[in-house]
Amino acid sequence: MTTAALNLESIDLHYGYVKALDGVNFKVMPGESVALLGDNGAGKSTLLKVMSGAHRPTSGKITVHGDHLEFHSPRDSAAAGIEMVYQDLALVDAQDSATNLLLGREILRRGPLGWIGFIDRKKMVQEADAETDRLGVKIANLTRPVEMLSGGQRQGVALARAAVRVTGKANGILLLDEPTAALGYEQKVMVEKLIQRLSSEGIAVVLVTHDLPLAFNAAHRMVVLNRGRKVCDVKTSDTTYEQIVGYITGALPAQVGM
Amino acid sequence: MKKLDSLSLLVFVRNWGITVLLVLLLALFSIWAAPVFGTLDNFSLILGNASIGAIFAAAIAMGVFSGALDLSVPGTAAIAGITAGLMINAGQPVPIAIAAALIVGIVIGAFNGLVSLTGLNPLVVTIGTLSITSGVAAILTGGMPLYGLEVLAFMGTDTYFKIGTDGEVFAGIPATFFVVLIVYVLGTIFLTKTRGGVRFLAAGGNAEALRRVGVNANLYRVLGFVLSGLLAALGGLVTAAYTSGASPAAATGVLFDGLTAVALSGISLAGGRGSLPKVLVGALVIATIASGLLILNIEPFWTVAITGVMLIAALAGEHAIGKAVAKKAVTKSTVSAHKESK
Repeated sequence: MTTAALNLESIDLHYGYVKALDGVNFKVMPGESVALLGDNGAGKSTLLKVMSGAHRPTSGKITVHGDHLEFHSPRDSAAAGIEMVYQDLALVDAQDSATNLLLGREILRRGPLGWIGFIDRKKMVQEADAETDRLGVKIANLTRPVEMLSGGQRQGVALARAAVRVTGKANGILLLDEPTAALGYEQKVMVEKLIQRLSSEGIAVVLVTHDLPLAFNAAHRMVVLNRGRKVCDVKTSDTTYEQIVGYITGALPAQVGM
Repeated sequence: MKKLDSLSLLVFVRNWGITVLLVLLLALFSIWAAPVFGTLDNFSLILGNASIGAIFAAAIAMGVFSGALDLSVPGTAAIAGITAGLMINAGQPVPIAIAAALIVGIVIGAFNGLVSLTGLNPLVVTIGTLSITSGVAAILTGGMPLYGLEVLAFMGTDTYFKIGTDGEVFAGIPATFFVVLIVYVLGTIFLTKTRGGVRFLAAGGNAEALRRVGVNANLYRVLGFVLSGLLAALGGLVTAAYTSGASPAAATGVLFDGLTAVALSGISLAGGRGSLPKVLVGALVIATIASGLLILNIEPFWTVAITGVMLIAALAGEHAIGKAVAKKAVTKSTVSAHKESK
């Protein structure tokens, strides 16, 4: 059996007397995409932040590809090959898509000008074009400031940036927080396809969403949280909308062995 | 199609409004204040007057681009001028005195940046620095201004490329303008052509974005204060050169003129975007108005009042155009309502 890309065991997280997470076990295999579902306040975003290193669990164990790690900040999880796309996207509005996509790995000019930090805009646009093409993300104009793009295009830039960063590393892990919030139909389909493509390339994807159709189309497995506890963990092919909604609302009791 | 046209008109106003304003002002004063205003000599004078304002505007602009308003600029300028003045009067070579003054600016900028990184409000921190620097400058000279800095004239009162034996045909291009040219050319290359510039602007626009891709955003935030301090010190030096003396009192007026030049250029004070050439045009607008009103024999207080009106009008214009552009351009993604409370 292969080792999980990311494995969380008995994660507890307390805010004072409030148990935001209560003994949650969660894992995702390389090449697998898992939807993390639950009602507002169920703890799914909190769990995602534990994975990204933004929150430290009160207790519990995190292993990445079999190595026991402790995350003190998002930088630690990034070093372990985990990339998170937040709802706020973290784009630099005044700059174009190419610059945003290549932020932190700008392409320098060749020769002496490059040594003192001159960038090669033309090459950056070409590289951005090649990368978005490979990911199947369509960005109308790579030299337009992202503030002039539609919501879907902005999401595309943010997803592509994270995706390129995880595909650069072997067996990366991609965490997505509500990637289709505020997107139109076509753009949702684009995000679905992107998730499918990334997992087929061996990336482990964890997806927090309220969008059940997205979860059913893009995820191999579903994990439902309710009030900080895991109540369901099933293969997508073994479940139905009604069942998942039942676990989310609490109409169905937790699965046996959760 | 009509929608697109009004959008491009708005974008045109945002990008070129300031330049159009300058041309209109020049035309207006050339007629109104004829024949004195529209002469080469007067333009040379305007350039000279605009220069010092332009250097301070660049100092403030660099702070604004990186997301911080540095209010300590006049204090840094004062202490830099005093540093150079004391060293020159003590017989130190001029290049050493200039270097020392610039280093003082860098150190003050680094101090502002590092203190602001701890989470203190940069506005308040730099006001504190403003008091400290002008206070220390006054302590150093016993509160008295320094005189006898004529050796700095090469970067102050001198003019170059005179035409005619004593400049009768053309008074020449003021030395200060060359300082401005160097500052603005180097600054623009840095901002638009280099990796450092891209990240510098990104730090002002969305520091979190830089952090998430593993770039040390704090470095660039401190760099904003350091560049601001360096340029403020340069402004202090040029002021000293222009007046052949240095005053320990912080000339807070440069703060308002500089900020007005930045606002006039249509650049958002929220940070993350910036164009130095536009700031330069902004500084020229202010100097043009001052010169025109002076020639028309209108009392100088009017210039101060008009600068204030322009500052607010520019902000309001930027705000309105920015809003209209955002509304006309494709709708942005809204943050989901499904946010967990913790």
